[in-house]
Amino acid sequence: MSTVQFAVNGTPVSAEVEDQKLLVEVLRDTLGLTGTHVGCDTSQCGACTVLVDGQAVKSCTMLAVQAAGTQVSTVEGMGRADALGPIQQAFVDCHGLQCGFCTPGMIMATAGLLAEHPNPTDDQIVHALEGNLCRCTGYVNIVAAVRQAATALAADKR
Amino acid sequence: MSTDTKYGRFGSGHSVRRIEDPALVAGKGQYADDVAPEGQTHLVFLRSPYAHAKILSIDATDARAMPGVVAILTGDDLVAAGVKPLPVSTNFPRPDGTPGVSPPRHPLAVGTARYVGEAVCAIVAETRDQARAARDAVFVDYEELPCVTSVTAATAPGAPRVWPEAPDNFAAGMRHGSAEAADAAFAKAAHVVELTLENQRLAPASIEPRGVLGTYDAAADRITLRMSTQMPSGVRDTLCDAVLGIPREKMRVTVGDVGGGFGMKTGAYTEDAVIAFATRHVQRPVKWIAERSEEFLSAVHGRDLLSHASMALDADGRVLALRVKSLANVGAYATPTGVAIQLLIGPWVSTSIYDIQTIDFDLRAVLTNACPTGAYRGAGRPEAIYTIERLMDAAARKLGMDPAELRKRNMIRPEQMPYKNPMGQTYDTGAFASITTQAQALADWNGFEARAAQSKARGKVRGRGIASFLEWTGGNVFTERVTVQVSGDGYIEIYSATQAMGQGIATTYAQLAVDVFNVPIEKIRIVQGDTDRGQGFGSAGSRSLFTGGSAVQLASRQTIDKAKELAADELEAGVGDIEYDAGRFSVAGTDRGIDLFELAARQGDRQVFVDATNTVEGPTWPNGCHICEVEIDPDTGEVTIDAYASVNDVGRVVNPTIVRGQLDGGAVQGLGQALCEQIVYDPDSGQLLTGTLMDYALPRVDMVRTFKTEMDQSVPCKNNPLGVKGVGELGTIGATPALVNAVVDALARAGLGERAATAVQMPLTPERVWKALQQRGA
Repeated sequence: MSTVQFAVNGTPVSAEVEDQKLLVEVLRDTLGLTGTHVGCDTSQCGACTVLVDGQAVKSCTMLAVQAAGTQVSTVEGMGRADALGPIQQAFVDCHGLQCGFCTPGMIMATAGLLAEHPNPTDDQIVHALEGNLCRCTGYVNIVAAVRQAATALAADKR
Repeated sequence: MSTDTKYGRFGSGHSVRRIEDPALVAGKGQYADDVAPEGQTHLVFLRSPYAHAKILSIDATDARAMPGVVAILTGDDLVAAGVKPLPVSTNFPRPDGTPGVSPPRHPLAVGTARYVGEAVCAIVAETRDQARAARDAVFVDYEELPCVTSVTAATAPGAPRVWPEAPDNFAAGMRHGSAEAADAAFAKAAHVVELTLENQRLAPASIEPRGVLGTYDAAADRITLRMSTQMPSGVRDTLCDAVLGIPREKMRVTVGDVGGGFGMKTGAYTEDAVIAFATRHVQRPVKWIAERSEEFLSAVHGRDLLSHASMALDADGRVLALRVKSLANVGAYATPTGVAIQLLIGPWVSTSIYDIQTIDFDLRAVLTNACPTGAYRGAGRPEAIYTIERLMDAAARKLGMDPAELRKRNMIRPEQMPYKNPMGQTYDTGAFASITTQAQALADWNGFEARAAQSKARGKVRGRGIASFLEWTGGNVFTERVTVQVSGDGYIEIYSATQAMGQGIATTYAQLAVDVFNVPIEKIRIVQGDTDRGQGFGSAGSRSLFTGGSAVQLASRQTIDKAKELAADELEAGVGDIEYDAGRFSVAGTDRGIDLFELAARQGDRQVFVDATNTVEGPTWPNGCHICEVEIDPDTGEVTIDAYASVNDVGRVVNPTIVRGQLDGGAVQGLGQALCEQIVYDPDSGQLLTGTLMDYALPRVDMVRTFKTEMDQSVPCKNNPLGVKGVGELGTIGATPALVNAVVDALARAGLGERAATAVQMPLTPERVWKALQQRGA
């Protein structure tokens, strides 16, 4: 067991975790942040994507102890159901989700992309989402949502 | 469709934003693994590492002593406790006329394991890690037996037997049509085309795996399963009636958010039975969440059909007869759906939108040492449509005809409706040639040669594929019950036993309710997924809207009628004088009136409640024409989808955005089959070689850049009051043949000519396409 201190969605967290626990397990099971999902065992699906110090990371590939001292952002930190953030709103507006299971990972991968490329090309969007699987939408509306989110975030900054 | 009423912009016909979405994008969904009751234990399965093996002994002595272990269950334990096998297919006889057979499908294997991944033992522990550790300490002594995983191997002389009662490995067989009539048609045919087609095995692969949380109320002796399923009532009924032998009221099945189903989450699984038993056995909550590898191993697979198909045509290109011989690999246990899909449901649409009355089908379900098959988006129709659409293209090439023209020459005309096909299925409506003409315009059919020349100038090979088709929807269960509660607290709650799994049913039903009540959509609450509140067939076969939605409309209207009577009493007026609009009843010609919710609040139970059941007249026959253009890189064999256009007759549309999402998302699943997806078993060992998302290639974000998708609403369905047609599977069914026909067209243009049709089988991986291209000089 180790004590791990990090920040989740801006709030300092201190958790006793077994050394083998993955970041996603601590987020879901210890902290109750069930918006981050597990869809595979091989880091292929991306449903567990979160931001660690601003970078999109699959939280099933990272031990919780490795998150010590970092800033972790999850989908819960992107806005509330009654006050959605711009990326979340874009997914709603563009019908970028159906079952919604992959969506938190898509939203966080989008957040990571837009932090790096605020005005991404379609190729950059496709590259950024290559590690996130969606079985419902066919992706076209997801790409549209990322475009809208980029526009909305750029407008916010002005 | 209400557009001119007060809240009409939230009614049907409008792209209302989904009411499901805010919670889901905020991370507040409640999927199977998002609920964790106090004292929850975790169950994991030990699965067979062999495709076929005798289980000589199971020694769990060491495992039971491991930390945190609560219980370990074997197949023998369950049999001793009176647990019965799950139902297997019995409706279809074997080809020799003897009754259909299957090995008994025990929740945990008894005596013999028949596919890699079959559950052999269940371990319950305080934590999932402890359960996994204990699983490693269970010692099973197996005696490996010879195995078969393909229909070719299973039907070869001397093949190993999956089940002794099927010495030829045939679980069931069906003949449809007339061999004699077909022989006569082929004898006088001017042209005959024939193809051997592999419709490969697929994994439905919802991103949320299956998951079940069982809880047990000892005082009431009642099991509750909270699970990710499309059919809560079906799960309950099967487990109670057939497996556990308990009254149905002793089980409740509830469903939260479902992270995709695609047919795979229909009906009861062996795992569900084990969870139900285990929670009662240990008298604590028991949760099982499938790992992705377990999903590949043990969630039903789809398709897996090897067909030899031929078509006879006259000199003018009119089809005289269709002959299909198919072997369907139904895996180690012939499930009722797995067999029915291939022997009956798919064949219902084998002649598709074409006026073909002479058929000869010989369809057989083959037992193998593979995971059982079941429903997967389309379920039989994709296989049938793929077959005839490949034949149509092969015929057009042979006759030197435009493939769209050949199709139109054979299409059933609107004036032939209602049209009974040779499988006895009656199409109510369809304007098939019009749909195809519209799709050709959308795809700029006549501009293709210019685009092909441009591709050639870039060193690429261009091809165009067309698929015009229909499908059957409905599961042949046409009755749905809906309850409506207008609450004195200011909302209208509608319960339906159809089940959401991402289709946007809640929004769609709410729009239908807005049509009737003309209140803000925020006032409507759609509730699903609780067998204590209502039972029904659930959601499968693209049936929810036309059955459940029709019931929502009826129940809503009955609610207004009932409330009118109550309003008449309140307002001391005759019912005939009461008018309703926008949440308010009023006495005609006066200023006297009462608010709908106020009226509800004045009732003894503070509500107006209606329980209504509606039966629609029959299935729906959505149809479409999908046209795909591809470019092949001849150096690598890589196929790029350059354009995709479709026109879809989906009847009336309630929410255009949602319907388009179903069409395009469904199309990508169909394209996945055409291009990259395939379940592969090692033919010698029977091991699953595609057991992870690293090995099984799902479509990714780079597959399609844009869709041109249009919906034709001019031909409403006549079998339901809404005029809607099921849309969940249409895109999947059309996309696969459209893309494969495009690649075959490209290969033909590259120099293979008529040989192109036999040069490739799905999935069209770069390797396969490159190899086919090498035949150019041959």
